[in-house]
Formats: sequence, structure tokens, C-alpha cells
Amino acid sequence: MEIFIQLVVNGLLLGGILAIISIGLTLIFGIVRVVNFAHGEFLMIGMYAIYLMHQHLGLHPYVASFFAVIILFAVGALMQRFVIQPLLTADPHIQIFATVGVSTALLNLALLVFGADVFSVRLVDFTSSTIKLGSITIVIAQLITFCVALALMAGLHWFLHNTYLGRAVRATAQHRYAAQLMGVSVERIYIFAFGLGCACLGLASGLLLPQYPVFPTIGSFFVLTAFVIVVLGGLGSLSGAFLGSLIIGLVDSLSGYYIAPDLKEVVYFLIFIGILVFRPTGLLGLGRGSE
Amino acid sequence: MNILNPRAYVTLIALSLLLLIPLGVGSPFVYHIFILLCSFAALATAWNIVGGFAGQLSLGHAVFYGIGSYAAILLLMRFQISPWIGMMVGAVVSTVVSAIVSYPCFRLRGPFFALATIAVLEVVRLVAIHQTGWTGGAAGLAAPLNIGWKWMMFREKWIYLVIAFGFLLLTLLVSWRIKNSRLGYYLVAVREREDAARAVGINPVKVKLIAVMVSAFFTSLVGSFQAMYLTFIDPGSVFSLELSIQVAMFALIGGLGTVFGPLVGTVLVLPIAELARGWLSNVGNGFHGLVYGVVLVAVVLTIPKGLVGRFGESFSKWVDTLPGGKRTDGSVDVVSHDAWAPAAKTAGIEGQVVLSATNLNLHFGGLHATNNVSIALNEGEILGLIGPNGAGKTTVFNQLSGFLQPHSGEIKVRQPDGQWVMPRTPEEFARAGIGRTFQIAQPFADLSVLENIMLGAFMHTSSSAEAGVLARKVAQLTDLSGMLDTLARNLTVGGMKRLEMARALATQPRVLLLDEVLAGLNPVDVSKAVATIRRVRDSGVSVLMIEHIMQAVMLLSDRIVVINSGSVLCEGAPHEVMTDSRVIEAYLGKDYVHA
Amino acid sequence: MKFKKILGALMLAVVGLNSTVNAQDIRLGALYPFSGGLSLLGDESYRGFELAVEKRNAEGGLQGKKIVIVKSDAVDAAQAVGAARKLTSVENVQAIFGSYASSISFAATQVSELAGLPYFELGAVSDPITERGYKYVFRSNPTAKAFADRTVDVINDIIAPGLKVKPQDLRIAIIHEDALYGTTVAKYQTEAGKKAGLNIVETLPYSAKAVDLSSLILRLKGAKVDVVLQTSYQNDTVLFFRQMKEAGFAPKAVIGAGGGYSLQDTINAVGPDNMHGVFNIDFTQYLTNEAGAPGIKAFVEAYKKKYGSDPRSGHSLANFSGANIFFDAIQRAGTFDKDKIRAAVLATDVPVGTTPTGWGAKFDQNGQNTRGMASVMQWLDGKLTTVYPKEAAVAAPVIGKVGK
Repeated sequence: MEIFIQLVVNGLLLGGILAIISIGLTLIFGIVRVVNFAHGEFLMIGMYAIYLMHQHLGLHPYVASFFAVIILFAVGALMQRFVIQPLLTADPHIQIFATVGVSTALLNLALLVFGADVFSVRLVDFTSSTIKLGSITIVIAQLITFCVALALMAGLHWFLHNTYLGRAVRATAQHRYAAQLMGVSVERIYIFAFGLGCACLGLASGLLLPQYPVFPTIGSFFVLTAFVIVVLGGLGSLSGAFLGSLIIGLVDSLSGYYIAPDLKEVVYFLIFIGILVFRPTGLLGLGRGSE
Repeated sequence: MNILNPRAYVTLIALSLLLLIPLGVGSPFVYHIFILLCSFAALATAWNIVGGFAGQLSLGHAVFYGIGSYAAILLLMRFQISPWIGMMVGAVVSTVVSAIVSYPCFRLRGPFFALATIAVLEVVRLVAIHQTGWTGGAAGLAAPLNIGWKWMMFREKWIYLVIAFGFLLLTLLVSWRIKNSRLGYYLVAVREREDAARAVGINPVKVKLIAVMVSAFFTSLVGSFQAMYLTFIDPGSVFSLELSIQVAMFALIGGLGTVFGPLVGTVLVLPIAELARGWLSNVGNGFHGLVYGVVLVAVVLTIPKGLVGRFGESFSKWVDTLPGGKRTDGSVDVVSHDAWAPAAKTAGIEGQVVLSATNLNLHFGGLHATNNVSIALNEGEILGLIGPNGAGKTTVFNQLSGFLQPHSGEIKVRQPDGQWVMPRTPEEFARAGIGRTFQIAQPFADLSVLENIMLGAFMHTSSSAEAGVLARKVAQLTDLSGMLDTLARNLTVGGMKRLEMARALATQPRVLLLDEVLAGLNPVDVSKAVATIRRVRDSGVSVLMIEHIMQAVMLLSDRIVVINSGSVLCEGAPHEVMTDSRVIEAYLGKDYVHA
Repeated sequence: MKFKKILGALMLAVVGLNSTVNAQDIRLGALYPFSGGLSLLGDESYRGFELAVEKRNAEGGLQGKKIVIVKSDAVDAAQAVGAARKLTSVENVQAIFGSYASSISFAATQVSELAGLPYFELGAVSDPITERGYKYVFRSNPTAKAFADRTVDVINDIIAPGLKVKPQDLRIAIIHEDALYGTTVAKYQTEAGKKAGLNIVETLPYSAKAVDLSSLILRLKGAKVDVVLQTSYQNDTVLFFRQMKEAGFAPKAVIGAGGGYSLQDTINAVGPDNMHGVFNIDFTQYLTNEAGAPGIKAFVEAYKKKYGSDPRSGHSLANFSGANIFFDAIQRAGTFDKDKIRAAVLATDVPVGTTPTGWGAKFDQNGQNTRGMASVMQWLDGKLTTVYPKEAAVAAPVIGKVGK
């Protein structure tokens, strides 16, 4: 029984990590309606940035996050402005390819610049320690990540509902044309939204680096899972992304134990296919998932 | 195909270069590149049938490639069955799998379909890795090195090249045949505007399924061949997302939806990647991959329609200037002057009911949109359907053509033989003889006027030639003969409305539902349209029209039905209805009843 | 026709730009994964080969001629085929050396065998590479089966006695990354373990791309596993140790099988204290007794001089040593005729303990070296120290628990 509880705890905490990555993706997905295959590579950029700041400037990763947020906001904005924007009226296939091209280019650029070596950060402070509740162990770093994910979700929710810019973003997401008629500059909103989504990755990279190493292909570890979560939770829904992350975290943890560690992904891809077929709007989706 | 036509011989020369260059150079490495070229071009061409023609972006196509690879090698290793047979087995399995997997996913659009296909691919790959029992798991399988035609393994490279070239020719041929056939037109229609396609009797699911199955079949064949060529397969490299993306990329760069696009795309990009790997990997790890990614983004940003999409037209025109070519512009169509006639209406007797709707009810949540509506359309009559905005006229239309299902009530259509049928889906209604136009015109923008009309004509014939003839006749009837080659997107409003009508007429309907065809037309166009509608009725089609332009309604209608707030307010001869106080009240308000 | 010939010549020129043809040189292909996920160890392996070539050239070359290396990169099997074809045709190499990664080696050797070119494998461990009855594929390093046998030795001869229990009483789990490398080693470990009557309670493959192994560890904990056998690359090794500590799972011993377990970077990421006492079975590593591996110190010096840092793993050493053995054989053959080379290789007789790796060299009919040995190392105080066999050992093994 205690193993079960530990599995659940582990799953929920893993969900926290996945949530931070997925929240950014659902924002972009929900507003700009683009499948950004380069999302994982942006995370990689963030993690390399944090690593460099840690190695050469001695910054603690959590502190370096703030800078990573800014860097990634810029990256996202540039991506939207120069790659996605010219293609907004093209076939959606074209957009997908553009992001795939960016993903390939970034991955190989990292390989070129940093080599294939794996870099990690070993922190000997409170973040790597654990607390024990009875026989259940909780890793502090994961707990912090979880709390930040919650805070991020709450913060974004507040922003989207209580500020003019936030409402403009929501309006654009719901009906681009009508929002334009209301005086919203759709292009600027898209740039902002993409930047914001990537900025979340900046936050994520600072939290992730103490827990995972960075190497050129680390993006691909997370990106497909993030897509599953976003669709599961519902396109554009922040709470959906969070809920989806928790569910997938639990699925990962439980199926890894009760079925087999190398079939974990099969389980959640099957869930993914199931959701797409039977309930494409996702659990808490706003728009039409099959759109 | 006339071989003296420059289009034919230029194509043949270009294709033969694929064989002649490596044969001439004779180096095994060059052979290797060209074998890969032919294989990948074949894969891209097969993919294009789904991704380009049908518009469903599949990023999991490697599933079929992998099934083909494993089928060939497993059957060879375990049962000593020749890979030629193994190849066929794999192709059949792939085709079945493709149908099972795609069917539920078709209603997913754009990125969702792509993601679903990726998920399927990953599941298959992971299961293949896990099932070490018969797939050998991640360690992969090596084909036994038996030389000979039976084992599809040769010392001489040129034989592989010939086989790969054969596959390429095969897929090109299939792709070309599809594009110029009814299936090709149907795929374009479904891809562009599914609703309008259904209204001319196309079953989108069936059409897409065929496309997917054909594509999977050929992808699997090439997969089997490559397995025998590389002699080593493992789940990671055959069920590979990267491979799926590469194949789709080649098709995209060359031009989705064109026949030769995928080949052109492959010829351009693949050698660059291979050469870059040779040259540039000395500069540093990953440099060639970087170049690859950047080139892709650059191409996508500058020529999203792909090379053939962008330059195909001008290239074709240039080719036509070569000896033997004929110019296609300015040619005079020798059109048969037989007037257009609808399908036999042998049993149709004047005055007999041809379309009957009884007690239709439809709710949208709490709104009772259609309230106990009954309409009967008689043979050879023009029935006007009027009512204030929001009364529910188009809703009734949508039920009469299958786009909405009434919650209660019955709709039946009389067939030429006198029997009644009760269609349910838009395609069934279309085939029962109901043609319709849409309130917001839905032309197939990138097709010409002629091709748009042909889409309707295809309902009764599968021959492009026959459809073309019928389409020209209909065009005459609707005054579109002068614009047959114009792209639909370049028409005026009036032209688009006439095109809507023409396309519906080309299905040779017994009943034509016109939804505000006169809206937005200037007076001259209105009177032309009125004349056209009369001609249509006189040729034997019964017409039910929603209209707001009262003079036209009065001029044309034999009877009028008035709908208000979802129910039938009154019906009768035009003059009676127009002076009915309830009607005036509905349109203008109580105050005007006694005006 | 002329046009095609010109085109053909152009293509050749373009493709052959980076190869200078000099009849006085011997061209040898070096086929390794220089990019992609395996590039770290691929590059490390290549360095060993490069050093061997330099040394041989300094000593007068091969058969009196200078050796020129033609580098070729391949990330997976499909590219390996293309690379091999390019080497055998355009580059006109006399032989190919490589490749570290089993899948690359597998595919490339199919090409070289069909083309009748000798292929010298210096580091890939998957047994099937030399089990296909090929005549011109030769391998100097020990295979996965040797690793597996050695694992059983460690359990029987070191761990069980050290814990004062019978080997059959230990509860053993095999965990491995699910690609070719991990699957092959795990398969042979299972076979060897069963043959020795060991109690294997769990066999758990996992994806090398896994970001979380906590449920796997919980399963090991629940099964009360005493000894964990892991075959993994770098990041999954790091992940495993970190999460093991977090979960409070403390097996009595952990035995790795090369890959991530041999890299200094791994222990830096995990922390020397956390990996203290962890066993590793791999090719000879650098903290090895010179007596059992003559020339190893000289090699490390040469490496440091050329590359400016310590070797990153023992792969360079294995490639260096294997290349030397093959160069000697080629020298004896006096020509590059494939059958004479085969004869010379099969006639090789180098005693164990006379090479920098400590291996000997005697090749069976399949071209596999039967005198390669897997060494047993242990991470002690942050250094990968050889503890077995005795001749190569630098320290005595430490048993008890993992971590300090």
C-alpha cells in the first residue's frame, strides 16, 4: 500500500514538471493555433542558457530562470514574427513544416556549438534533499516545481481574465476576425502569446536543470508528452494542461510500476488516440478540437 | 499519351536521367544515392496521395514502411519465403491497418490528425521494441545474405537501381491516374470544402479511405524493398518519425497535390543532405543537420506552394513551346449544341409530388427552430420559400438536403421509377436527386469553372471525358461558357452564384434547392438569373427557392410558402400570399397591416 | 552521351573533394558515429584509432606506406550503409575500421562483406556481428557475452563471498535501456545467470529517453532486490542513481556494463560519494595496473598530449589496442589482398597481458578475438579503478553497500 501511495505522490510531482512545460504549449496552441514542433528545442535552449549562467556567472538556476524567461520570450516572439507570421494564411501543413525545420536546425546547432556531451548541474543545497512524511519520500526540488506550476497557472489565469491585454488575448483566441474588428492588433497579440508561451519554458528550464541533464536531444524527451497533455487537457485551457499533466504523471508512474517501464509511453499514446477520437475537445477544452 | 507531345518526351527524358546518370558513372556510391533517390521519391509520391491530394497530413506513414520491412524480412528469416511474396503480404497488411487506423481519425483536422498519426507510429514502434520474441526487439533483424532474384539480393548495384526506379514509375503512374480521374477531383473537393463536396454526392470518408489505402500499399512495398537493400532493420530506423517527416518534407518542397512535385522535392533535397553529410560533417558534428533545417525553413517561407506548385505553370508553358507542342490557350471548344437535359424523369407527371416533407421538428437546445413544418414540392413547379430573417428557412433547406437531421418528421423523395426513398446524409440526398446551392457560395477556389462543374457531373459518370462534356452543356445553360478556364476564386459574385447553380445542375437533379441565389446581384444579373431559373424549370427540374427579392419571387413562383419563427405561416398563389395580413405583419409589423 | 560523362565526372569531383588520391598512401576508412546521440563515445573511440595511426606512421607506416584516414560519419544503420558504400567505392579505401555502435557495425559490414573489403571492428559488442559466417569481418574487442559472463563472475567470486552468502541466495534484477546495446547485454546476462543458477527476480527494460525511473525503482524496492545489473547510457545512469537515493532504495551492489558507467561525466553528475562501490564491467579503463596492461601509461600520455585532456572513457584505449593488433597482422600479410589478410589475422597469436588493454589476440573462424576480456572496475573515491582480474587490479574490491 505504501508503495502505491509513493507511486501516486511521484506521479503527481512528475505532473508538476510536465505542467510547466505544457502550459506554455497550450497557450501557443490555443491562441496562435500552431503546432510548434520546436517547443522541445526551445526548452533545450533555456536549459543551456541556465547551464552557462550557472557555470560562468555562478548563478543559482532558480535565479537564472528570470533571465531565461526574458531570453525565451524574445526567442518565441522572433519565431512568431519571422517564421509563423508570414505563414499564417498558408496551409497548416506548411506551418508544421516550418516548426519542424526550426526544430531540426536548433537541435543541430546545439550539437555543433556544445557537442553531444551531457552537462548537468549538481547542487548540494536544499533542493536536492528530500523530506519524509512517514514512509513517503518527497524530493524538495520536485515539490518546488509543483508549487511553481500551480502559481504559474494561477498567475496566467489572473492575467488572462483581469487585464486588458489578457482579454485581448482571449478574444483573439476565440475569434481572430472579430477581435481585429474590435481594434485588437492580432499580429502583436500573436507575437506576445508566442513569447509568453516560450517564457514559461524559461521558467521551466531553471527548475528542470537541477533535476535533469542537458544535451542537444533533451527537447525530444518532453515534447511529445507535452502534446499529449495539451490535447488531453483541452486546447487552450490552462487548468486543462495542469490537470492533463497530473493525469499523465500518474499514468507514467503507475503504468511504469504495474505494467512495464518500457510500455509507459504506449499507455499514454493510446490515451491520446482515444481522446482524439472520442473527445477531441479534451477534458476541459474551449474550442473545437477537431478544428 | 502522344509521345511526340513535348510534355510527354520531356518527362520521359527527365525520368530516364535517373537511370542513365548512375549507369553512366558506374560508381557504387552514385548508385546508392540514386537508389535512395528513387525509393524516397516513390515514398514521397505515395505519401502525397494522402497528404497532398486528400489533404490529411500524415506524419506516421513510417508505420506502413515498417510493416513492409518487417514482413519481408521476417517471412524470409522464419519461413524462407521470397521477399517478393513477403512484400505483397506486407502491403496487404499495411492496407488493412491503414483503413482501421485512419477511419476514426478522419474527422480530425490539420495538426490533430498529424498528432494522431504520430501517436500511432510511436505506439507501434514501442510495441515492436518490446516484442523481442518475434521482431527481435531493439537489436533489429539482419537479412540473410542470399544472392539472387528470388531473394531480392544482388551483388550488382544496378539491379537495385532498376527495381527502385520501377517502384518510382509505378507510384508516379498511380498518382497521375488518380489525379486525372474522378477520384482525384473528389479528393480535391473533399480537401477544400467538405460540405459542398457532400452536396454533390461525394462520400468524404470513402474517398479518403481509398486514398489512404492506396498510399499505404505503395509505401509498404518500398519499405520491403529498402529492407532488402539495407539488409538490416530495427524498430528505431523503420518506424521512424524522422523518416515520416522527411518523406512529407520532400513532397512539400516539391509541391503538395501535384504529381511530380514529390519527385522534384526529393531530387533537390536528398542529394544535398547526403553530400552535406560527406563534406560538412568534417566541419563539426551536426553541421549538415543544421543546413538541412535551415534550408527547409527557407523553402517553406519563400515558396510554400512548393517548386512545382510555383513554377509548374511557367515550366509547362515553356515545354509547350518546344517542337510538337500545341498551345492550349485561345482554342475554340467545339461544343455540342445539344441542350442540356436532366436525368430521365419518365414517371414524372406534372403536378405529382416529387419532394415531400411532413411534420418536421428541430430544436437547437431550447430554440424550436423548425416547428411542425410540412412542405410538398410538385413536379415541374417553382416553389418560393420566403419569410423574415431568422425565420428558419435555411434550416429547413438544410434538413431537405441532409445537412441537418430533424428530430421528428419525415422527408421523402420520389425517384424516376415512382418509388419513394428516405435519404439521410447529404450524399444520399444528392444521389436521390436533390441538388442545392449554398447561401454563402462555396466554390472550389483553386479549380477552374469547368472543373467545378465537372465535380457535379461526376455523380453519374466516372469518366473525365464524359463529365467534361456534360459540364460544358450545363455551362451553356448557366451562361458560363466564356469562363470555363477561369479559376473560381477570380469570379464575380454573380459568376460564383451561377457556378453554384451550375455545379448543382450538373448532378442532373430532379429537384433544385436554391438558397438566395439572387442576393447581392445587380438588376441586370438578377434578370439573367431569373431567365436561367426558368430555363432550368422548363427542362424538367422542380425548383424550391429561398429568396428575398420580391419581384423575382413574384415573377418566378407558381406557389409560395411563408415561414415565420420556424413554422409555416401560410401558403398559396403568390398574389394571395402577398396580400395576406399575417404575412405583412410578419415582415413589417402590425402597424403596416392596414397601410 | 558526352553530357552524361561530364555530369558523371562533375559528380565524382564534387563528391571526392575531400579526398586526395596519392598512390603512395594507404587509405583506411574510419566509420564512427560522429554526430547524433552516440557521438560522444563515437568520437572517443575514433581518437584511439587516430592515435594508433599516428604512432604507426611515426614508426614507418604500414607496409612502408603512410596511412591516411578517411573519416566517415553514420548515425544509424541506413546511413551506415551509405557511408560504407562511399568508402568502398568513391574513397577507395583498402579497409574499414570502426564503429563503436553495434547497429552501425552490423549494417556497414553487410556492405563491406558483399564488396569483399576487410572490416575491422574495434568496439561494438553485439555478438551477432561476428556470428554471420562472414569471412572478412574481424573484431578485436570482447562481446556482450563476455560482459555477461564476467558479471556472473563478479557475483559469484566477489559479491557473494564478500557478503558471506551463497550466490543463489541473492535477489538479482536486470534493468537496461531498450535499444540494441542494452538488450544484447541483458539477454546474455539472463542466459549466463540462469546457467549459473542465479535468482533473477526482475528484468525491466526502459526507454533510454525516459525522464523518470521512479516507478521502476519502486518495483525493485518492492521485490527486495539485492543486486542490480544495469546496462545504460549516460543520462539514464545519472537518473537512476539520483532517483535511487531519493527513493531510499539501497541495494547491496550495483553492476554496470560500460556505456554511462564508464564516463567520468557520469560520476561528476551523480556525485562521487553516491557511486562509491559501484561495479562496472567494460573494456580496460585507465586505472589499471601497468603490469597487466603494458603500455597503458604511454597511451594516456600520448592522448593527453594530442587532445589536451584525460581520456573520457576506455573506448579510445580499446580502439588503439585493437588497431595495433590488426596493423601488425596487415603488416605480416604484406598485401591488402583480402584472403591473405584473413590468413594473417587468423594466424595472430598474442598472449594475454601483453597489450595496453591487457588482452591477447587469437581469432576464431568467425573473426572474433577469443582473448579479449572484460575488466571489472569499481568506482572508488571518484575514480574508476580496476579490481579484477588480479593481474590488472589496482585495488581490492569493496563490498557492502553502494554509496558512502
